[in-house]
Amino acid sequence: MKRIFLAAMVVLLAGCGVQPSGVTDQGEPPTGVAPGVTLYFVDARGELSPEPRGTDGLGTITEALALLLSGPGGSDLRTQITSTDVTRVLVDTEPGLIQLRVPLATYEVTPLGIDQIVCTALGVHVQSGGSRTTRVRVSFTSDTPESDKERTCPLIR
Amino acid sequence: MNRRLWPRGLRARLLVAFVLVTVLGAAAAAWSSAGSASTALVTSTEQRLTESIAGQIAAVAPQLTYPPDQTALDRLRAAVGSNTLVTYRDLRSADGAGVALVTDAFRTAVRTRNRLVTQRITADGRPWLLVGTPVTITALDGTRTPSGIEVYAVRDLTGVEQQLDRLTRSAVVTSALALPAALLLALLAARSVLRPVRTLRDTARRLAAGDLDARSPPRGADELAELTVTINEMAESVQSSMASMRRMQADARRFAADVSHELRTPLSTLTAVVEVLATSTDQMTPDAKESARMAITETHRLVQLVEDLMEVSRFDAGTAQPRVEEVDVDRAVRDCLRARGWLDRVELVAPNDITLRVDRRRLDVIVANLVGNALRHGKPPVRVRVRTDREHVWVEVTDSGPGLPGHVLPHVFDRFYKADAARTRTPGSGLGLAIALENARLHGGDLTAGNADGGGARFVLRLPREGV
Repeated sequence: MKRIFLAAMVVLLAGCGVQPSGVTDQGEPPTGVAPGVTLYFVDARGELSPEPRGTDGLGTITEALALLLSGPGGSDLRTQITSTDVTRVLVDTEPGLIQLRVPLATYEVTPLGIDQIVCTALGVHVQSGGSRTTRVRVSFTSDTPESDKERTCPLIR
Repeated sequence: MNRRLWPRGLRARLLVAFVLVTVLGAAAAAWSSAGSASTALVTSTEQRLTESIAGQIAAVAPQLTYPPDQTALDRLRAAVGSNTLVTYRDLRSADGAGVALVTDAFRTAVRTRNRLVTQRITADGRPWLLVGTPVTITALDGTRTPSGIEVYAVRDLTGVEQQLDRLTRSAVVTSALALPAALLLALLAARSVLRPVRTLRDTARRLAAGDLDARSPPRGADELAELTVTINEMAESVQSSMASMRRMQADARRFAADVSHELRTPLSTLTAVVEVLATSTDQMTPDAKESARMAITETHRLVQLVEDLMEVSRFDAGTAQPRVEEVDVDRAVRDCLRARGWLDRVELVAPNDITLRVDRRRLDVIVANLVGNALRHGKPPVRVRVRTDREHVWVEVTDSGPGLPGHVLPHVFDRFYKADAARTRTPGSGLGLAIALENARLHGGDLTAGNADGGGARFVLRLPREGV
């Protein structure tokens, strides 16, 4: 009887405190580093084409869209977005949805241009560790039903 | 386990068992709840720390140049917090003394698994959590490849341990609080069980002491009540059989007394007739003379037997009364031997001036019986020795015969016991030693039989000096 009691006390005391453990898996490692950002332009055949840009790291969606709105630069790609002076895009990320407020009206962008914006934003989101099924809503300056559509990128599925 | 330390009483055992069971139960419950709580606490703390570190890395990672330079590593390390080590190939950015706790084995595990991992360790008596993770590059198609950047963070778990200690303390206090309650309950339970047991014990004690009227009323319908009823029944049957035995004994004694009393009157007549016959044997033929002598002897034996029987009956009835007077033991013994003509056949060793308060006739009966037996059954020389100390006087009668066989010894004082079945027709009634013993007891003394060192039978009469 006494021995049982002692054993119980030992077990009781052994359960106290933080016990050392082995190496435990806690899930996916963080991600987000990248040598640069990928922008989407339109090639000579009129199709979406990714163009990697060597920048200092991946950066944010806002930075990537600012680069996109500044145009393809010296390459042989074109953009279907009317160039503007204002390149600042407001980004609002919530689970499953990225909301972009672009400084453009509907008529300043072709559907392919909208895909450029969506793909560039989604590319940065995915490379930052976001989900590939996230949808993108692009809000234009003019009041239009296009602003309420939830879009996906045809190249990132 | 030491047997002596173990409590023996039923109450103590009940108490100990009750208290042990309760405290063990409370301790087990408290321990298991404290255990699961502590596991949950440790797990959630680990998760919180890991998620925060992963979140900090993920937040700052897109801002880092890749491949990173020292500045980028320092930036990442600063974002994660102190006690952090960030490595990229040969580059390394470390901060805090805790970084030294990151073992090579842990780094290898991070590198080979390519996963976010943790490990709890104890260093300098304090618990620590190691968090290690590579930072991956995610391609646009979702594939992840290691970037070569590894982040190791060391976090102190002392706060968690203190919380655990508090939990354990409260568990111990809870178990301790159960103790007085258990004790009280155990006392109540023990009392309810032990009260009827004590009543039974008292009843059994009274029965054993001879109070056959003792009973205990059964209460309830449990096993103890059944036991009580059984004991009552047992007492009942013992009482009735004792009563019938006493009645039979009394009947037998009265019968013996009546018979001997009834025999005495015709025997006195017979004795008178035989006396007359004895005086006129001279004119008889030798055959008739022989018959007459036998008739005379047997009549005397019959008279002796009846007198002995009446004496025994008086002892049995408790009516025998000693007539105590101051007696000189030496003189009394010498008179006894002289009266029977044994003085020259017996060695008497007796100091002078030993006086006792006894019944002279009964002392004479005892000594005559012992010496007579010794002369009849043993061999000479027969010795009578009187000894004395402050409290007792001993009269020792020893013969030089073969002694008493072992199987005879316990029955020497039985009534009508004959040691040798073939020797039935010895003179003497067969009641002599029984009467001698009764006489010794009547004086508060005793009579014992045994064998002397030389082999002869030895009877020792012990009489108290103070008398009765």
